[in-house]
Amino acid sequence: MTHRTNHSPDTVVANSFESDLQRYLRGLGGLLVFLLVWWLAAVTTQPSYLVPEPLDAAHAFVDLFVTSTTIAVPILGSHLLLPTGLAHLAQTLFHYVPGLLLGAGCGISLGLAMGWNSTFDDWLQPLVRMLRPIPPLAWVVFAIVWFGIHHTGAAFIVFVGAFWINFYGAYGGVDGVSPELTDAASTLGVERDLSMLKLVALPSAAPQLLTGFRTSIGRCWMIVVGAELFGAPGVGYEIINASNNLAMATSVAYMFLISLAFLCMDVGFRLVERRVLAWR
Amino acid sequence: MALSGGRSTDQESSEKISVRNVSRSYESTRALEGVSLSVTEGEFCCVVGPSGCGKTTLLRAIAGLENPDSGSVLVDGDPVTDPGLNRGMVFQEYALFPWRTVRGNIRFGLDRPACNCPDCEARVRELIDLVGLKGFENAYPKELSGGMKQRVGIARALAVDPEILLLDEPFASVDARTRDHLHGELLDIWSETEQTVVFVTHDIDEAVTLADRVVIMDADSGTVRSTLTVDIDRPRQRTAQEFIEYVARIRDELGSSDGASEASSMSNI
Repeated sequence: MTHRTNHSPDTVVANSFESDLQRYLRGLGGLLVFLLVWWLAAVTTQPSYLVPEPLDAAHAFVDLFVTSTTIAVPILGSHLLLPTGLAHLAQTLFHYVPGLLLGAGCGISLGLAMGWNSTFDDWLQPLVRMLRPIPPLAWVVFAIVWFGIHHTGAAFIVFVGAFWINFYGAYGGVDGVSPELTDAASTLGVERDLSMLKLVALPSAAPQLLTGFRTSIGRCWMIVVGAELFGAPGVGYEIINASNNLAMATSVAYMFLISLAFLCMDVGFRLVERRVLAWR
Repeated sequence: MALSGGRSTDQESSEKISVRNVSRSYESTRALEGVSLSVTEGEFCCVVGPSGCGKTTLLRAIAGLENPDSGSVLVDGDPVTDPGLNRGMVFQEYALFPWRTVRGNIRFGLDRPACNCPDCEARVRELIDLVGLKGFENAYPKELSGGMKQRVGIARALAVDPEILLLDEPFASVDARTRDHLHGELLDIWSETEQTVVFVTHDIDEAVTLADRVVIMDADSGTVRSTLTVDIDRPRQRTAQEFIEYVARIRDELGSSDGASEASSMSNI
């Protein structure tokens, strides 16, 4: 990606197009090599379920959308008929989305409160330091005894995962607010602490806050699959369910489905982020 | 001490800001030591002194951003304890809200409940015109040059129509040509609004260009060394003999300490 400065704009555009093309071709090359290695490993390994063949995995992936499955919608109590892959993805989202949003909401609130109010910070800092290192999945035992390992239990585990990442995003963001900006705001009539938080600290912390949330989107996918391995319904459960039947190609298909779902959410959120942070 | 070019008539009754024997220290360093100062209504007062002489602390004490260890600051006879809408502040590094547009920054003070302007939108338009930022209403601070940023800073401070305008080395990071423009604009705004201005600078030329009266602070001790009334009609020419004489007198007052000689070297160009 080196552009020499004496190029006319046209050449630079052409060059950047060329280097983009080159980048894509190389990326494609990497994927093809991976597929080749995978395929070689598959055909040389016995028994065959140890490494399923790429083509079988592709078939299994297509099957996820050819067959249909009925799932129960929590709370509403109704039933939904969807292509199998989407049905299980929806099951995952039934606990992933509430867990993520609730965890982010609570984490951000506590982070803002502690980052903004030093008395509060003094009170809670040791507790935070103690609870923070506990991996979210360790809470699975309480998720099971409190809620049972269904949607609520899985949502609880996702909640814990989302909570800490967002907590630190908000905490660090508010902590880093420039005193010059709060000075400027107070000379312009901002008197109450809460108004200062809303008008200065929050927008100033927005970049870190949003980065925290975006990180938690990815982290929660890892956590949600972990929770489902314990029995909550969803794509993670289907991975282990398929492997119990030695249908490893189907397990691989679900793994790719998760990857795809994460990519869509990540790209979508990046677009939102770019819009919201246009001032940067 | 007669003030020429200023609008004050009776010094006794029109005292706007009164700084009485104010001291302030930070840990081991003493920023202000028994500073007393009086600024009359409508006066343009410049505070000069080398970096670290406590002039910014003095300004922040008047703004209410800094509480003195001893002594008091009075505005209209009332002690200052907090910032207030009657005192607008312009910061050296602009301190614009980067997530707000030019319009949003200028509007900031108008959106406070304490300020009930009948037509905020018209007021913002008027200010954008005043500081010459028409066409940049929707730009974010990152898109503006230093001079334009400080225009926004000034307009934002003026928006709530404060009686006192406090400026902390506002043009220190602006190139010389733009600074000359901004001096002219600031004087125009001042003569229009009849505000009381306290302007902190380390640039002696700038002080003599702008001020009715120059307060000269001591290099190390955080005290006021002397004050000097600048009796030249505006607009002032830097090449005029009397201008050069004022600059020389202030430089003499400041002594030949490093910061002072550096600050005044521009007058020889």
